[in-house]
Amino acid sequence: MFYRLSGVHHTRYEDTRRLWPIPTDRRLVAVLFLLALSAPLWLSELYLQNYLLPWLIWSAATLSLTLLMGVAGQLHFGYAAVMAIGAYSAIHLVRLGVPFELAFIGAGLVAAVIGCLFGAAALRVKGLYLVMATLAMQYLVDWVIVNVPAISGGAHATLQAPEARVLFFSFADGFTRYYFAFFWAVFMTVFLLNTKRTSFGRALVAIRDKDYAASVIGVSPFKYKLLAFFTSSFFGGMSGAVLAFCFYRAVTPEQFGFNVSTQLVAMVLVGGLGSVIGAYLGAAFVLLTPMILSNGIAALSDAGWLSVSANLLAHLPLMIYGALIIGFLLAEPLGLAKIYDNMRNYFLVWPFKHSRR
Amino acid sequence: MRPDDLPQALPWRPHDWHKGDHLLALLAANASSHPAEIAMRERDRGIWREYTWQDYHDTVLAFAAGLEALGVRPFEVVQIIGDNRPALYFAMVALGALRAIASPAYPDATPDEIALLAEREDVRCAVVEDQEQVDKLLQLEKEHGERYRLIVYDDPRGLAGKMPERFVAFTDVVARGRERLAADPLLRQALLERPSAHDVAVLLHSSGTTGTPKGVPLKHGHVLSAVRNAAQAGYFQNGDVHVAYLPMAWVGDYIFSIGAAFALRFAVNIPERQETVIRDLREIAPTVFFSSPRAWAGMITRIQVGMDESTPLKRRLYEHFMAFAIDLERRRLAGSPPSLGARLWRTLGEWMIYGPIKDQLGLARVRRAYTAGEAIGEDDFLFLRALGVPLRQFYGQTENCALCAAQSADDVKLHTVGRPFPGVEVKIADSGEILVRGDNVFDGYYDNPKASEEALEDGWLHTGDAGYFEEDGSLVVLGRLSEVAYTAAGERYVATYIENRIKFSQYVKDVCVVGENRPFLTAIVCIDLEAVGHWAEEHGVPYTSYADLSQKPEVYDLVARVIAHVNNVLPSGLRIRRFVNLHKPFDPDDGEVTRTRKLRRKVIYDRYAPILEALYDPARREIDFQATITYETGETGVIARRLRLYDVAPAQGE
Repeated sequence: MFYRLSGVHHTRYEDTRRLWPIPTDRRLVAVLFLLALSAPLWLSELYLQNYLLPWLIWSAATLSLTLLMGVAGQLHFGYAAVMAIGAYSAIHLVRLGVPFELAFIGAGLVAAVIGCLFGAAALRVKGLYLVMATLAMQYLVDWVIVNVPAISGGAHATLQAPEARVLFFSFADGFTRYYFAFFWAVFMTVFLLNTKRTSFGRALVAIRDKDYAASVIGVSPFKYKLLAFFTSSFFGGMSGAVLAFCFYRAVTPEQFGFNVSTQLVAMVLVGGLGSVIGAYLGAAFVLLTPMILSNGIAALSDAGWLSVSANLLAHLPLMIYGALIIGFLLAEPLGLAKIYDNMRNYFLVWPFKHSRR
Repeated sequence: MRPDDLPQALPWRPHDWHKGDHLLALLAANASSHPAEIAMRERDRGIWREYTWQDYHDTVLAFAAGLEALGVRPFEVVQIIGDNRPALYFAMVALGALRAIASPAYPDATPDEIALLAEREDVRCAVVEDQEQVDKLLQLEKEHGERYRLIVYDDPRGLAGKMPERFVAFTDVVARGRERLAADPLLRQALLERPSAHDVAVLLHSSGTTGTPKGVPLKHGHVLSAVRNAAQAGYFQNGDVHVAYLPMAWVGDYIFSIGAAFALRFAVNIPERQETVIRDLREIAPTVFFSSPRAWAGMITRIQVGMDESTPLKRRLYEHFMAFAIDLERRRLAGSPPSLGARLWRTLGEWMIYGPIKDQLGLARVRRAYTAGEAIGEDDFLFLRALGVPLRQFYGQTENCALCAAQSADDVKLHTVGRPFPGVEVKIADSGEILVRGDNVFDGYYDNPKASEEALEDGWLHTGDAGYFEEDGSLVVLGRLSEVAYTAAGERYVATYIENRIKFSQYVKDVCVVGENRPFLTAIVCIDLEAVGHWAEEHGVPYTSYADLSQKPEVYDLVARVIAHVNNVLPSGLRIRRFVNLHKPFDPDDGEVTRTRKLRRKVIYDRYAPILEALYDPARREIDFQATITYETGETGVIARRLRLYDVAPAQGE
């Protein structure tokens, strides 16, 4: 119904590999981009700063984790720790007087180096054992941050993000925070979309599918697993820095606990492994559904349509949320991205059931 | 072949063509006025390779120069054999520059068919597509003695470096020609000035529904007059996008892909292979599209099969909007304009159903869609117009460059083929035969004065079709004069008319209605494997092959319902009482249909005589029959089956 494919033809092989060969998809992407770009104009401050902004940042973080989990197939249950390293590094670097732009990259580098150390475990272990290794990272990093006052400022301290400017715009300004997060998400999106089409991306996919088969065809698992951990941790650290400067404005160790790691894994899984649109959908689902559910149920109960005990009222959103996750994954184990893909295909072949020969 | 053996302009009709107004002059003019515009695209391994008018012009001249160096002489007939390929089009035009005569043959023609034409036209050179065609020529030479002096091939796979000297690659000929052109700066101009409008541009062959095909030489002047007449009537537009997928040996392809393409600067698009036409058509989305009623019907079958297996919501929407649009179109053709509400509803349907279907078929941008060759089923015609494909019928034969009369965009009626083009005179003979005169009518058959005399009388071409004029001047074609037949009871009928009605069912691919001098009508039916196969899967009817499927009792019942449905609208004397499902489809290789898929009744009557006898013998319920089939190599095989003879239940009220 919405898709028109006739007249799309290519005269060079390069064109056949472009990102969105179908005009409708290109238009959809352009509309979404413009909507997000103009969001401060039509969205209230509350929704912009409390819904859209965190969604974009978590999507960017999910994109960097999906590179590791979805594309390269290496499980990581300590990704919040990676982001914590980035966040704390960036704050300390800025405090030391390093310009934010450099501190931002520095945060990525520190996270990448530490992430790589633990990632090295992946060279020897796989699957559940790798999960254990990354869990170890989560707890070690947590412990170090909490117990080294030089980093956290004390066991229960809150570390304020210092005043900083990026390209002459101050983070004190809400617009700067939004646009910085927005362009970071755009950058991550473009990066991941293109990575999947490069030899690097294809090598990662080969490793994911079977690492010793990959080594038979000349893809070194040693090199590419390390590279995957390095790249993913690099961007994870930077996303942590964005989170610290644009959204939290002050960091505590609890903000990067184990539960956050599980949430990140949930975002990747619910969204759909290895999918870019899945990262956005997964982040939206994990982040926004609990908020919307609790708001909705609170509204229902205030209106008197729902009479349950206050105790149940607090837990009801969580129960529904859990049921939803199970429901979605039962309905489509490949995640929300696959559900979107099914819907797209339904309209792509409209009014037929499948594409015509 | 000497030039005076070719048909000359007839004494009663001297052409007043300007000598320099020929296809090569048009090509040169296009190359100088629009050098960078795309003249041709070919899909090659997934992408479209483009040729500008400049490329077209340069390649044609270089190929001509190369061919001349290889000894192709003026007025010599050169065969062109293969699927649509740029090189073959370039070759056809280049032969014009040498005043030689290009004679395209169907790519699936058997060696015997090619040998027959080659012998009659004294062919010594050929330009062919690939190894398959080269093998065919080698096979032919093995059986009929060495014939070809020069064979140019386009696709070097399996040929390069392995063949004797008389086999030359297209690219080598072009390279050789380029050297000659570089060495002799005057040659380029000389090649363009050599031909004349009075030279034969192409030697085509009549479809041969009766007997062997006759050679139809069309001159540059004929082709250009025909195209310009049609353009004047708004039939083509400058810069149309066209897909060249019909066989090059068919007059329609020559007129569209070379004649009109040169005169009106078309972008001609060539699909990768015959099997990819449907996909490639969608990638190009042409603005002008020309197809045979057969192919249009095939398109409708594909839509219907696709919708049958679609999801319930989509199917219900389709059924509603399609029925609505067909009804609307029927009333529009009857002369009542749609109401505002109906127009709005149609707009919604355009967005929901018609637009997407046209998009899937690659017809989204078609502004001018045509059908010709034989009568199109009313229901097919309505269906396509309802979909928003501005389909129009036109009328013509090979002998008059296929362009004789056509419906105008705003005046389409179901039963007429429209008014004659400006510059074309049409009248009806006393016998009811349609006669045509004009600059687009050829000057006589190739080397066949007797047939020429019969066909051309005082410049009037005897088309062999029966027809009459409506009061508003539009022409109605009833069918072949020879096909108007009478049953033993004296009932007059036209077999093609009944056949077209039956063939609108997606389940019937071909059908031959028999009944001349017989007590009643019967039919030989060839089911459509795709549609019936799909139906069988849906209804749990297991089958192994075409032959097996055709003889299933359930399939017989299915076909009987189709025939009974058509019987309802036929007068009682013309109802089909019995039919048989043939266990093989009609095939051009077996000579049962022409390459353009018209029935050759004589062949069918001969070959299936035992079946026909059995059909008229009420005592017989079945018949054992062996059908011979001819493979593309020319070898034959046999399929034996016991065929059931089916009595159609009498229609209501009988």
